[in-house]
Amino acid sequence: MNKEIGINQLKRRDFLRAGLVFGAGAAGLAAGYAAVPDAFARAVFAAKQNGMANDNVLVMIQLAGGNDGLRTLVPLTDPTLHDLRPKLAGPMVSQALPLTKDFGLNHNLGGIKSLWDQGKVAMVQGVGYPNPTFSHFESIRIWETGDPTRRQVDGWLGRTLAKAYDSNGHPLTGCACGTTDVPGALRDLQATMTVIQNQKTFGFTGGSEVEAAVGALYKGTPGIYGALFDTAIATANDTIATLRTSSASYQPMADYTDKVQLVYSSKNQLAAALQLAAELIVTGTGVKLLHVTLGGFDTHYTELNRHDDLMGYLDSAVSAFYKDLAAHGKADKVLIATWSEFGRRPKENASGGTDHGAAAPLLLIGDPVQGGLYGSEPSLTSLDSTGNLKFAVDFRSVYQEILGGHLGADSNEILGASFDRIPFLKAPVAVL
Amino acid sequence: MALRAPEPVADAASPVRKGITRRQALAAAVATGVGVGAVRLLGGTIQNLSHTSAANGMDWVSPLGRESARVMQLLRRTSFGYTRAQLDAALSDGYSKTVDRLLETKPAEPPVLAAAATPGGRFGVPEIQQWWVGHMLTTPTPFAERMTLFWHGHFTSDYRKTANNTFMYWQNLTWRRMGMTDVRSMLMQVTTDPAMLRYLDLATSTGQSPNENYSRELMELFTMGAGNYSEEDVRQSAKALAGWQQPPPDSIATVTVDKAKMVTQKLPVYNAQRSGIFNPRRAYKGTVTYLGHTGPLDTQGVLDAILAQKATAPFIAAKVAQHFVTSQPSPSYVAGLGDTFRRSRYDMKTLMRAVFTSPEFTADASYRALLKSPAEFMVHGARALGATSLSKLIVAAGSGMGQSLFDPPDVNGWPNNAAWVSSNTVVERVNFVTLALAQTKGSLPSATDAARTHLDGVVGPQTANLLNQAPDERTRWFVTLASPEFQLK
Repeated sequence: MNKEIGINQLKRRDFLRAGLVFGAGAAGLAAGYAAVPDAFARAVFAAKQNGMANDNVLVMIQLAGGNDGLRTLVPLTDPTLHDLRPKLAGPMVSQALPLTKDFGLNHNLGGIKSLWDQGKVAMVQGVGYPNPTFSHFESIRIWETGDPTRRQVDGWLGRTLAKAYDSNGHPLTGCACGTTDVPGALRDLQATMTVIQNQKTFGFTGGSEVEAAVGALYKGTPGIYGALFDTAIATANDTIATLRTSSASYQPMADYTDKVQLVYSSKNQLAAALQLAAELIVTGTGVKLLHVTLGGFDTHYTELNRHDDLMGYLDSAVSAFYKDLAAHGKADKVLIATWSEFGRRPKENASGGTDHGAAAPLLLIGDPVQGGLYGSEPSLTSLDSTGNLKFAVDFRSVYQEILGGHLGADSNEILGASFDRIPFLKAPVAVL
Repeated sequence: MALRAPEPVADAASPVRKGITRRQALAAAVATGVGVGAVRLLGGTIQNLSHTSAANGMDWVSPLGRESARVMQLLRRTSFGYTRAQLDAALSDGYSKTVDRLLETKPAEPPVLAAAATPGGRFGVPEIQQWWVGHMLTTPTPFAERMTLFWHGHFTSDYRKTANNTFMYWQNLTWRRMGMTDVRSMLMQVTTDPAMLRYLDLATSTGQSPNENYSRELMELFTMGAGNYSEEDVRQSAKALAGWQQPPPDSIATVTVDKAKMVTQKLPVYNAQRSGIFNPRRAYKGTVTYLGHTGPLDTQGVLDAILAQKATAPFIAAKVAQHFVTSQPSPSYVAGLGDTFRRSRYDMKTLMRAVFTSPEFTADASYRALLKSPAEFMVHGARALGATSLSKLIVAAGSGMGQSLFDPPDVNGWPNNAAWVSSNTVVERVNFVTLALAQTKGSLPSATDAARTHLDGVVGPQTANLLNQAPDERTRWFVTLASPEFQLK
């Protein structure tokens, strides 16, 4: 419903004015790109660099459904945990990988633990917002828009695209990998972004002839959905051409595997999505903001094995991604951050699971990170009136550091306010 | 902008039009160039009827002043497309008789799905997906399937968590049979539906240690909407609703799941469709305070308390309006529908009649104001081609467009309209058309008439241009089905 707001105000992205090869017209698209792939990639990258503070890249990983923070960063010494979770607490504490005297990582996060040991992982504890909602959809919207008052419609990354980078339609500046729809965080009526579910199958069956025909068919389309359609087709054509170039020059330097048993309700192939993200980054497509999703975190029932499996899947995909970036000499440019709409209830339920909660830790991973624990641990004995963990850090503090410190964007303009700093970056690029 | 005079066409007298003349195409191209007006095909001529919209400068020219166009829009929004013969029948009936027929015709039952007898419901999900699509493609009562799809997205469950495809099959049969009854009965049914009992965990909730999953979504997504109840209400109804369990099976089958290792499993077998059963030992014994009332409360009591809330009727009416009328229904329209709905004791036939006979449903502003969901788009396309054997392709192609049946993205079901469009989904829509044409062997229905039959004769300049240039029938069908016009309803 909210996604409909203002759709008729959508402006037609003017690809012609971008000054690239689009002047050749739709029919010339494929041929033009194929003939001068390197020149094209360079032209796009150069055009995009104008107005950008740096060539840093952000990869947001959504843990959809509400990730159990207590099973991600495990309190090792608090006896209350065992009272609240008689079934779930024992194994998660005894198997945890200790980071400090009091906290350990889920035992399936071994790859991330080794990055922690190298000082490349920051964990911000107790992240949330005031008066939390326990609705998935409302809380997702709050995190996506960066607005707990629920007035904002556009996503925080979409606004970043529109305000900090060109808003004139370079589709690959923002990209959602491994999904079919535009994630709310990337959505902004003034920004163009790409969605690629599966890179191997992305393209027109029938090749350039169909591409050209469809390009001609979707031009100046009338009606309220006209601009949306035309932009989507032009974006697709542009992306197909870029992928043709980037796929040819990319060799993965890590083993991405999606052979794990997918846990309900993850249908996203996280490793494949991150591999596509790596390809876009290392081949110089000019991508800045990437979004991938791993579902299945709504663990109302039989949480024990299911959450462990999810942690293992996250760990192997992120580890491969980091390794690949490092082997291509890009690890210093890329910040990986997780987000989830809420944590889970400290007390377990009859189904061996946990209901919707509030505050939870976030993971920040990569060479730009100053490793360590930030924020403050939520108390298990002083819960709020709904039996949930009280937040210590506003999630927008984390966004602020990412925007200003990593992307060099004006976080105050994008978030509409400033927040307490959480200095989890080694060398923030802008004064905050 | 002045009206361009209709241009005479050489063979205007001929009953079968050969397509659009080059001269007309040029006129269309000129229209594009100046950026105003969509093109309307009328009786062998193209009229450039200028029509300026605030944002984009161009809008479709609504043909809804004509009853035939209103009938076609009604069919697009209440069916999965039509063949020429089905369209002709509706056109000769007229609008109001067609509404009566939609509402009063008993849903045709789909064929029995033999795989549903598999112990534990352990058969592949493509079987049930293809079974349903197959029925969509051939049913004489497509409106029942549109309502079943609407309810499948509203009282939604998915096969992954339900992990028993027999239960998913039952749920589908239920919405076909109950989709036009009353919401009070439907709420009791969905609460005790075996797939739903698993999907939102009510089957494992107990009064002593309740699971809030069903309790919350019942209010947030099924009936009232967020903001109309408190967190305490979620907790209280979680207690009051606890006690339902899966139906006991008629027998247990021992099935070998791993022949090499000789692993067997005992799986439930059902001889007939069943609902969940209530186990008082797992229920909550005390009183609750729920939506302002304190006392002992059973499941029917919870549902009746919800139905007594002011928010409930408009919430469901708004969802229906967004699905069938416009992506942004006005508050007064929703309030009016909600009043009618509530006064009828939540009777779906009354609500749907109010929707189809409301001025909003056929207002010019409603023209092409909705986007076909992937299932609607694909089944409509296949029916237009007379291709009833494309269920496998339709099932396979759905996921790239964002819609796999029995597998909604989350408990909120599927989105509507603009949310269906991304760079990924538009490519997949076009690819479906390419593959559907490749897989449709033999002769196709005449494409000459397709723009009129399936696009109301109202096409944009680009579509007109490409239809003109199309060298053969297949290309003309490709342009028709891949066009922006055909994505809309």
